[in-house]
Amino acid sequence: MAAVAPAEPAPVAGRRRSTAPRPAKRGRRLPGGRIGYVYVLPFFAVFAAFSVYPWLDTAWVSLHNVRLSTYNQSTWVGLGNYHELFSTHFFWNAFLNTLTIGIISTVPQLCMALGIAHLLNHRLRGRTFFRVAILMPYATSLAAATVIFLELFDPHTGVVNWALHLVHLPEVDWQGSKWPSQIAVSAIVTWRWTGYNALIYLAGLQSVDTQLYDAAAIDGAGRWAQFRHVTLPALRPTILFTIIISTIGAAQLFGEPLLYHNGKTDGGTMGQYQTLGLLMYQQGWTNDRLGLASATAWTMFLIIVCAVLINLFLVRRRERSGR
Amino acid sequence: MGRISTRRRRTTAVLAAASAGVMLLAGCGGSGSSSNSADQGAGSGPCGTKANTTVTVGLFGTFGFKEAGLWDAYHKRCPNITIKEDDVEQSADYWTRLKTRLASGSGLDDVQGIEIGFVADVVKNHADQFVNWNKVPNASADKAEFFPWKWDLASTSDGATTVGLGTDIGPEAVCYRKDLLKKAGLPSDGATLAKQWATWDDYLAFGKKYEASATKQAGSKFVDSAASIFSTAVYQGQEAYDNASGDPDVSSSDGVKTAWKYSTEAAQDGITAGLEQFSPTWNKAFSNGAFATLACPTWMMGYIQGQAGKAGSGKWAIAPVLPGGATNWGGSWLGVPTKAAHKAAAIALVEWLSAKEQQVTMWEKGGHFPSNSKAAADPAVANAKSAYFSNAPVGKIFGAIADKMKIPPIGLYDTQIQQALTTQLTNVETKGTSPDKAFSDALSAIKQVTG
Amino acid sequence: MSAAVTAAAPPVRPHARHGSGGQLKAGWVTYAVIIIVTLVSVFPLYYTIVMASHTNAEMAAAHPPWRPTNSLWHNIHTALQMAPLNKGLINSLIVSGCITVGTVALCTLAGFAFAKLRFRGANLLLGICVGTMMVPMQMGIIPLYMLMAKLGLAGHLESVILPSLVTAFGVFFMRQYIASAVPDELIEAAYVDGARPLRVFFSIVVPAVRPAMAVLAMLTFLMAWNDFFWPIITLSSQNPTVQVSLQSLATGYAPQQSIIMAGTLYGTVPVLVVFGLLGRHIVGGIMQGAVKG
Repeated sequence: MAAVAPAEPAPVAGRRRSTAPRPAKRGRRLPGGRIGYVYVLPFFAVFAAFSVYPWLDTAWVSLHNVRLSTYNQSTWVGLGNYHELFSTHFFWNAFLNTLTIGIISTVPQLCMALGIAHLLNHRLRGRTFFRVAILMPYATSLAAATVIFLELFDPHTGVVNWALHLVHLPEVDWQGSKWPSQIAVSAIVTWRWTGYNALIYLAGLQSVDTQLYDAAAIDGAGRWAQFRHVTLPALRPTILFTIIISTIGAAQLFGEPLLYHNGKTDGGTMGQYQTLGLLMYQQGWTNDRLGLASATAWTMFLIIVCAVLINLFLVRRRERSGR
Repeated sequence: MGRISTRRRRTTAVLAAASAGVMLLAGCGGSGSSSNSADQGAGSGPCGTKANTTVTVGLFGTFGFKEAGLWDAYHKRCPNITIKEDDVEQSADYWTRLKTRLASGSGLDDVQGIEIGFVADVVKNHADQFVNWNKVPNASADKAEFFPWKWDLASTSDGATTVGLGTDIGPEAVCYRKDLLKKAGLPSDGATLAKQWATWDDYLAFGKKYEASATKQAGSKFVDSAASIFSTAVYQGQEAYDNASGDPDVSSSDGVKTAWKYSTEAAQDGITAGLEQFSPTWNKAFSNGAFATLACPTWMMGYIQGQAGKAGSGKWAIAPVLPGGATNWGGSWLGVPTKAAHKAAAIALVEWLSAKEQQVTMWEKGGHFPSNSKAAADPAVANAKSAYFSNAPVGKIFGAIADKMKIPPIGLYDTQIQQALTTQLTNVETKGTSPDKAFSDALSAIKQVTG
Repeated sequence: MSAAVTAAAPPVRPHARHGSGGQLKAGWVTYAVIIIVTLVSVFPLYYTIVMASHTNAEMAAAHPPWRPTNSLWHNIHTALQMAPLNKGLINSLIVSGCITVGTVALCTLAGFAFAKLRFRGANLLLGICVGTMMVPMQMGIIPLYMLMAKLGLAGHLESVILPSLVTAFGVFFMRQYIASAVPDELIEAAYVDGARPLRVFFSIVVPAVRPAMAVLAMLTFLMAWNDFFWPIITLSSQNPTVQVSLQSLATGYAPQQSIIMAGTLYGTVPVLVVFGLLGRHIVGGIMQGAVKG
């Protein structure tokens, strides 16, 4: 897939390139090619057996009417499941919710993660502690976290409404109303994954040679300019990586909205925060319609491919215009 | 993934339970678990085998055999048998796992718990994968001891195959907060309430009085949710969600029609608290008094105690009545897969567990009402009182209801159908959705399940 | 909650100065922001401890408790008696350990090949790999179980380890990192010196990408540790991972949230230990060493 080609980092947009170790140039790879197959073989062997096979099986199932209870008596329905999927409002509702929750949760999340990673890259006392601590949300049981967020956003007794009340703002139904509930779900997502992304950025920052900062400073670049011309270009492959990962994650989101409705798979009483991932979960496990759920899985796949391509296109255009 | 108790329990699910025998004051000495009922097991001897054997028992939710000491008792009776539980908290997860293993024919436990929410599916699609209790000499001889409907729900329509032996049932009454009714200036003794709550019309009229009371606790509502009324009343019809042949039949069911009428009426009268059952807010309401009454199967007694804690003791009581007639909520069976590794030992164990003596123990220790009618009639059950629930004669109350219960046909998708309808009821309560719109939304969600 | 974090968003660099270690020195603003972020991150874990030491009714009070009590130890003890948690912990350490080692090793190897070696179809293979990340794998659980049953692995730890042994995420992550972190000049120089590819990999690449390997290890370990849905299908309480063994806590009589939380907490402790061990590998200055060496 050509999609990955632009992942090659752009050359550092600064001066004094010659003295600094620099990222690989576009399209250039080192010799020793054949051995490459040997290196990727173990990966693909395991991968083919335990990931690709179930994936292809899912495609087959999506063309059948199957329930787990009667797994061995599936009937061929062709594209019937896809037709049913697109003709119900459940799919379109979930599609739009996935899009909006995806945007609300991903954009601030990545910006914050970048900022936190930048701060954590300073010389700090207790550096290891802080670096581990920001990953805690990912380590804490999601169930425990949801209990707390449900408390915070409780329409009657929650701290959030209490605070709103304090500053004379109207109270909000964080569970029943559409946008507030989507914001609440996004808050859980943001809380959970910001540290995760920050850590990935932090790893990326380790590879930035600090001499580059010195060099930029000598050339009279301010802090913001240093960030823009040294940090950002160096992190570009990592940023691209997190954008792709987050897009995929957002499109497959289901755990947070599932728990936000006490483990019910309907995404709120009016489906106000039903996502595609949760819809698939509902179809497959709650409703026991594996064929329909598999059709949703494959539809999601195509949507995600499109979303990633759009993101890549945007990033690439920015790169071009940014030069 | 979450696995804490605030996560919703499946509505039809769960034989939740009472925390230990402390609350059940047996009227007379309980009968010990003597062992004479199932002595001629299928294989060699009463334990099914003479070899040292570990029997695995797949369970979900709150069966509580281990906590009632039955595993230890069985090990004493059959020293060569060791029992190991294989637990999954949520019955939905358990059921997915069981279905996967049935489909592949591998990984099954020696004994598998079967819940009322999916027993129809097991009977319809997997009857050949479970030991047929009609063919097991001891069990079929004891058939008459079980409530007939309990036996029938686990049997194919011709009655030839029976996939599980009954453990418990869930006869329903009304649990209420004595102190809240008193505060509102309304009667609060069980006998009076039984007369005033005989029908749903009476019950709702009483609710309006509660709502109108000037002295009631501020913000408190009469009943926890419209769903509570609905999911009780729907089983009082000739049909609930399915017709006699077990096919989904929501739009023309008399049970659904009546239940929808009363529950939306209650919602629109504003006498419901609009809480979603088994949500954290609902759990808290057991101690903060956000509602005064709810429909209450036997296992709910344990749930209430778990949520309200010691402070709730004496505040809660149980009225010997269920508006609109007696019915059931919940209950389970135990089945033995034909591919079980230790089939004979498993059969012997299930026979022993579902025998009268052990069902009495489960009531005394865990508040599980017996599905064995002889056990239900045992003085240890019939004369039990609950100190926590203001000394209510729970044995008598639930026993009387269990004797009169009407059980409509059940089907494959009852859990999901009920979920769709009660979710829409929440919208009627909290969002002011019109009942007609809510009903058609529920039907379109149900269509997603039934295909 | 999120408002607190927003403050950290603009990538300001207060009082930035280049110290001898080559890194920027942190000012008090940096400390303040990081401490707030840390508090927000750690709070739910703290609250888990609080919940683990109070009953449902206590937590439902008008003013819920904010401090843990001594009943925590008692509740952990009860949880240990109710569920095979220790067996679960050992199994989880085996499972997560194998998955982590396997993923980091295989994904670094493959990531290096994709980033630095020229071979036909490399882009296509990487594309396939990234593409599969976009596939929602949930529905694959049933065919996966059938496969495991046929292989005779269902119920065994191998059935959990094998499918997670490699991740497309890991390959893509390492590939992106190696592409930018390992200069071609270094590798070229090594080749000129006559080093073989595998030696280049171990003596040049691995030291240079240690921070990324540590991060990948932490993320992989956590994912494996908290994985629930697939293990609950394939494993049983007789041979559980910790997430599967926690299932036994909520069964039996009326489940006590405090016991469940106590068990959850107990199951999180090893994660913290592993983090402590890996965390210090995510430090800077490695590039300098690599360049000079």
